[in-house]
Amino acid sequence: MMEKGEDGEGIRHLDESLESQPDDPSLHFNLGLLLWEKGEESKAAEHFVICAKLNPQEAAAFRYLGDYYSRFDNHDQSQRALKCYQRSLFLNPDDSLAGEAFCDLLDQHGKHSLQFAVCTQASNESPRAFWAFRRLGFLQVHQKNWSEAVQKLQHAIRGYPTCADLWESLALAYQRLGMFTAAIKSYGRAIDLEESRIFGLIESGNISLMLGSFRKGVEYFRQALLVSPQNIAAHYGLASSLLGLAKECINSGAFRWGASLLEEASEVVVAIMTFAGNVSCMWKLHGDIQLFYANCFPWVDDGFGLEADKRSFSDSIVSWKRTCHLAAVSSFRSYQRALRLAPWQANLYTDVAIASDLVVFSKENHEEHLNTWSESEKMCLGGLLLEGDNNEFWVTLGCLSDDSVLRQHALIRGLQLDVSLAVAWAYLGKLYRQEGKQKLAQQAFDRARSIDPSLALPWAGMSADADVRKLKPDEAYECCLQAVQILPLAEFQIGLAKLAMYSSNMPSSEVFRTIRQALQRAPHYPESHNLNGLVCEARSDYQSASASFRLARHAVSSFAGKVSKLYHKDISVNLVRSLCKAGSPSEAVEECELLKKEGLLDLEGLQIYALCLCQLGKSDMALSEAKTLAASILSMDARKAAALISFISRLMYYICGPESAITSILKMPKELCQSSKVSFIVSAIDTLGHGNQLESIVSHSHRSLELSEDITSMHYLIALGKLVKHVSNDCLGIQNGVNHLRKALHMYPDSGLIRNLLSYLLLFSKEWKDVHLATRCVTIDPCDHQKEKVLKSGFEILGAGGVACCTKRRCDDKFLFPSYREQWPPETGIVQQLQKRLHQEPWNFKAKYLLILNYMQTARKERYPQHLCTIIERLIYVALSDEFCSRQEKSHEYQKFQLLLCAAEVCLQRGDHIGSVRHAKSASKLLLPDGHLFYAHLLLCRAYAAQDNVVDLRKEYMRCLELKTDRQIGWICLKIIDCQYKLQTDCSVLAVGFQECSRDVKNTWNVWMAVFDLVQGLVAIQTKDFLRAEEFLAQACSLAGDESCLFFCHGTVCMELARRQCDTRFLSLAVRSFKKSRETSVPLPILSLLLAQAEASLGSRMKWEKNLRDEWFSWPPEKRPAELYFQMHLLAKQDKDGSNSSSTLGSSQSALRWVLQAIHLNPSSLRYWKVLQNSVLVNMNILLD
Amino acid sequence: MKLTSPTIVQNAHDDSIWTATWVPATDDSPPLLLTGSLDETVRLWDPDSEKCLQTNTGHCLGVVSVAAHPSGRMAASASIDSFIRVFDVVTNNTISTLEAAPSEVWQLQFNPEGTILAAAGGSSASVKLFDTAQWKTVATLSIPHPESSNPSEKSGSKKFVLSIAWSPEGRHLACGSMDGTISVFDVTRAKFLHHLEGHCMPVRSLVYSPAPLDSRVLFSASDDGHVHVYDAEGKALITTMSGHSSWVLSLDASPDGAAIATGSSDRTVRLWDLKMRAATQILSNHTDLVWAVAFGQPLRRDVRSCLLASVSDDKSIAFYQYS
Repeated sequence: MMEKGEDGEGIRHLDESLESQPDDPSLHFNLGLLLWEKGEESKAAEHFVICAKLNPQEAAAFRYLGDYYSRFDNHDQSQRALKCYQRSLFLNPDDSLAGEAFCDLLDQHGKHSLQFAVCTQASNESPRAFWAFRRLGFLQVHQKNWSEAVQKLQHAIRGYPTCADLWESLALAYQRLGMFTAAIKSYGRAIDLEESRIFGLIESGNISLMLGSFRKGVEYFRQALLVSPQNIAAHYGLASSLLGLAKECINSGAFRWGASLLEEASEVVVAIMTFAGNVSCMWKLHGDIQLFYANCFPWVDDGFGLEADKRSFSDSIVSWKRTCHLAAVSSFRSYQRALRLAPWQANLYTDVAIASDLVVFSKENHEEHLNTWSESEKMCLGGLLLEGDNNEFWVTLGCLSDDSVLRQHALIRGLQLDVSLAVAWAYLGKLYRQEGKQKLAQQAFDRARSIDPSLALPWAGMSADADVRKLKPDEAYECCLQAVQILPLAEFQIGLAKLAMYSSNMPSSEVFRTIRQALQRAPHYPESHNLNGLVCEARSDYQSASASFRLARHAVSSFAGKVSKLYHKDISVNLVRSLCKAGSPSEAVEECELLKKEGLLDLEGLQIYALCLCQLGKSDMALSEAKTLAASILSMDARKAAALISFISRLMYYICGPESAITSILKMPKELCQSSKVSFIVSAIDTLGHGNQLESIVSHSHRSLELSEDITSMHYLIALGKLVKHVSNDCLGIQNGVNHLRKALHMYPDSGLIRNLLSYLLLFSKEWKDVHLATRCVTIDPCDHQKEKVLKSGFEILGAGGVACCTKRRCDDKFLFPSYREQWPPETGIVQQLQKRLHQEPWNFKAKYLLILNYMQTARKERYPQHLCTIIERLIYVALSDEFCSRQEKSHEYQKFQLLLCAAEVCLQRGDHIGSVRHAKSASKLLLPDGHLFYAHLLLCRAYAAQDNVVDLRKEYMRCLELKTDRQIGWICLKIIDCQYKLQTDCSVLAVGFQECSRDVKNTWNVWMAVFDLVQGLVAIQTKDFLRAEEFLAQACSLAGDESCLFFCHGTVCMELARRQCDTRFLSLAVRSFKKSRETSVPLPILSLLLAQAEASLGSRMKWEKNLRDEWFSWPPEKRPAELYFQMHLLAKQDKDGSNSSSTLGSSQSALRWVLQAIHLNPSSLRYWKVLQNSVLVNMNILLD
Repeated sequence: MKLTSPTIVQNAHDDSIWTATWVPATDDSPPLLLTGSLDETVRLWDPDSEKCLQTNTGHCLGVVSVAAHPSGRMAASASIDSFIRVFDVVTNNTISTLEAAPSEVWQLQFNPEGTILAAAGGSSASVKLFDTAQWKTVATLSIPHPESSNPSEKSGSKKFVLSIAWSPEGRHLACGSMDGTISVFDVTRAKFLHHLEGHCMPVRSLVYSPAPLDSRVLFSASDDGHVHVYDAEGKALITTMSGHSSWVLSLDASPDGAAIATGSSDRTVRLWDLKMRAATQILSNHTDLVWAVAFGQPLRRDVRSCLLASVSDDKSIAFYQYS
């Protein structure tokens, strides 16, 4: 109402103005505009006419007039309208409203060329006449003038960037011009602007299909179906892109995936069939889908034990075949329907022909119709009648025909039409090969391959002719691999697996993949199962291998028809071998006996039979089989004979022991012992047997070793042999082995094998230095877990050495001074090394175990901090619950024992005495030698002592004495406990035990004895019996003359004695010991201080001063104790008191400062305070004076 | 497709770096790299400045795995002693600690929705699933024992689970074991589906293809030196790719699904073109075992390229640009 009111106001106002100025065109125009908007069009038109007359340049007025006239359905009026529009456009070509209206009007009258001309004119006149460009673009698209249209549309889009129609038309033009990426982009733009652009979506999908990006296609068509669920084109597109995707999957060998995609595609097609039942290409697509389905549907072994049940195996294959057959029939029918709808399409005839061939082929029991024309042949000819010059049809005929003459004719016809038709050449090659014309076949295949190297068949043909072409096995394998990678056809794949057997590619994963794929498409061929079994065997999966061989036998009996007995025998021998390897000898023996009954047991079978019999404990039968084998040795070639000799020797050894093995070896012809394998076995048996009957053969056979690897292995074996041969007192002759290995290592310094065995043996040594040597000798191979044969791997030796070395170097960090002349490298890296190993092989129990022990050492070094204890407890808990520990093997028992002891120790250190006792008790219950159990009881002693439980402590102590240990450290610990808790037993038992176990140690027994004396001395000190202590320590010093610490202790005790007894004799003894100690090591702290005091007591001031200065320098600056500062104060005071001799130290620091520093470091000592007081007093006095 | 020559951060940790993962970008931070090392720390890196933003301590043994929540706010790290720490990426506040005694924990991975944290359960022959709201075990997916197994065989330790991967829609979970088998589970029904065979040595790393329509494609890396491509639903081995001369320790798929990168103990990083089934680039910038490779999200400034990070026993991190 308001607007109307305003309009009314405006009209009245304008009317008034017009009365005053009737010749003003703009007033007329405005009035006309208002009236027009009000709907009073005839009145408005009058004003527009006046306006136009007054001002013939007013374009808008003409446009309105045009609009006015065009409303009349009358020829004259519309002519007028046209003229008005023309005028308007002439005046303002940018006016899109006029332009559009004009063109619409022309369009109504069917004047297309005129319309075209108008637009062209407008576009020529003004580049901003976007409407004209748009119109022109659309017109040109309509006229299929694509390149022109692109220019116009591009220009128009500048004016209307959000017009989806423009983008779509542009995309169409691009598409038709073959600019597909540009087209997809433009369609994308249109779809972005308007989501429901079904045309754009479908065309984008079609372009993606054409470009081969089926994934994109699927996306577009799915989107299109969301917009319009019944769209036939979208359904068709979706199904064909799914088909394309499935083809990709099938070509890469993912049959199951491909089949599921095809199922989906088939559903899509069937869903729309009610609306598109009369579309020929829809049926053709359905036929294609079903044809591929029939060709890719995989047979699946669900692993439900088909090998045990022949019936269900054949059932599963029959049902798989039926599925394929039904799909083939379905495709056959669909093609026929398509043909019925469009009988003029020649390619449909060949499609029907191919499908019919497949139907016949996939029938369960197809009878051969000889001498009659098959349907497929006839249908091919149908296609050829329509299009006789289509070379592909000829090739199809060449493939489908039963008659070889016709086939050759058809293929040659195809080649006549196109000489570079690779497929035709390839099939021709195949045909010739079947007919035995090798030369021609080769030529044809070569021709095909050079024309199109991406064709699989020629490659396969080349590898099949490997022996004619004189290819090496590896080359043949490569050729076949090429074929398989191009086309995963079961026949090619089986061929590849066969070639792999000759070229040692059997365990490779490529072959595994191939044979698994072959099984999916050719489960009815016994060969595919057989090869699958061989591949599994090569990959050491014997269970699956034997299952496969059984399946192969089922396949032979169910599907193969007639096969030779030999083939059956081969499979059976394979089965027997894999059963034997899989560890089920009883089944293998059963199979062997069956074979024997049929008389099919060959040499290989006999060997396995003998081995299995031996494993089952039927030694007599095994021996008799071995005799049969031995009889045939002479008639064999050398390699086989060598293998057989080693087999028989080993068998004899296991059954009858070394002696009879040696006699049987002696019977063998000597020249057959030349191979390295035999050499190893002969040497091993020689070491294990007594006497040297084999010596000549052994030394003879050693000459056959050439590779350095073999030689180092032989040294390894010899070293082990020396261990065994030189047994003394139930101890292996380790030193002999070490000596041999040292020599060998000198010859082969880079041999990890020898190195690791050497360091392993060194670990056994009771000498101190050897353990350390072991960790330095060992090499860690990051990949040595792959070689399972190695006795001990590097990291184990390192870990064990780490534990051993660490015990040697236990000392508190705060007072860590290098007291040894040998500098051990830091072993902190060992924990990291072990963690690295554990990270690489998390399942490696050994690594975990060694990590715990080494971590325990770290914790011990740091005095058992809380967080380390928690981790160790957790790790031990995990390790103990590991099933590895629950196994009843001796080494595992020992490891469990160690872990329990660690756990007990950690508990003890954390104050959990009850837990400690519990762990130690369970450790003491393990079945281990007494010498080990000793330590569990020792720990129990400590735990009870911590609990103040003297009764149990005494009991455990006595138990320890009963058990005894062969390690010195155990006795020492026992001794300490004895003294500390005053158990007061017979001392001599301990001493005797200690001496007994030290006897074996040759080089360092004196050190151990000295240590024992030291302990006894320390014990004596504790009981304040310094005289006895002095005796013990003096004895210790005399035993180990180069051990500075012992002298140091001795000196200290002498000082104490001197103090107590005021005997200068002891003072001079002390001085001697201190000096000795200083000579034998780097400056020890406190040593010089004590020496200084001793010298001072003896009255030599000079020596006191000198030694005190030495003391100052023997400390690292940050560790100097308060007492040292105090002593320096005395020195400074002396300097001051005495002559003002130029002192290097005292000059800068006054005596007072020394005292102050001492107090600063240790404020609790009253002595320092007193001195301070005194000296301050003295200073004050001086000042007062 | 190509990798630029890398920018290398030397001595990024004090010892071997064992694991790395990208923390997705959040509103206020760009994507960051999280690394875990034998030196018992977890560190956060800015790839642009190559600076360490944060060092998280708290583990007492080497860190074997780190995982980032899809939101980018939260992450988890696990050490050799099976101790999992879940923490806030920005503040390093501990959100939760999980202990998985007596069995162990190796690779960790959040599901795509971020509701579940899965852990490869080591010797327990299972995958453990933790709920990210309550931090409680919601399920344990156990690998079934083969029916015909010999009781004397130590099958338990053979099935040691090392690696896991979530399918892109979070429905399936694959885990790789020491004996070379890969097991696929349906997580929603907590059901074992099937094994994928083909590797004969430990499977160290698994990843599903991120490309649309390829969500059933699974890549695996194994000590046998091969990379396998499986159809994880169809139980089929599609492709094998060989070239590494030693164990393949890790692999990751590029965001566009057209390439994968692998790291190996032969000290190289390789880029594989999946169409050509071959390595297109071999980078030997590391001087020791390469324990982890990880592709980041597409870059903001150029959506067709992204960053690749690799970490190694030589204590260094390398950043490459993939385009």
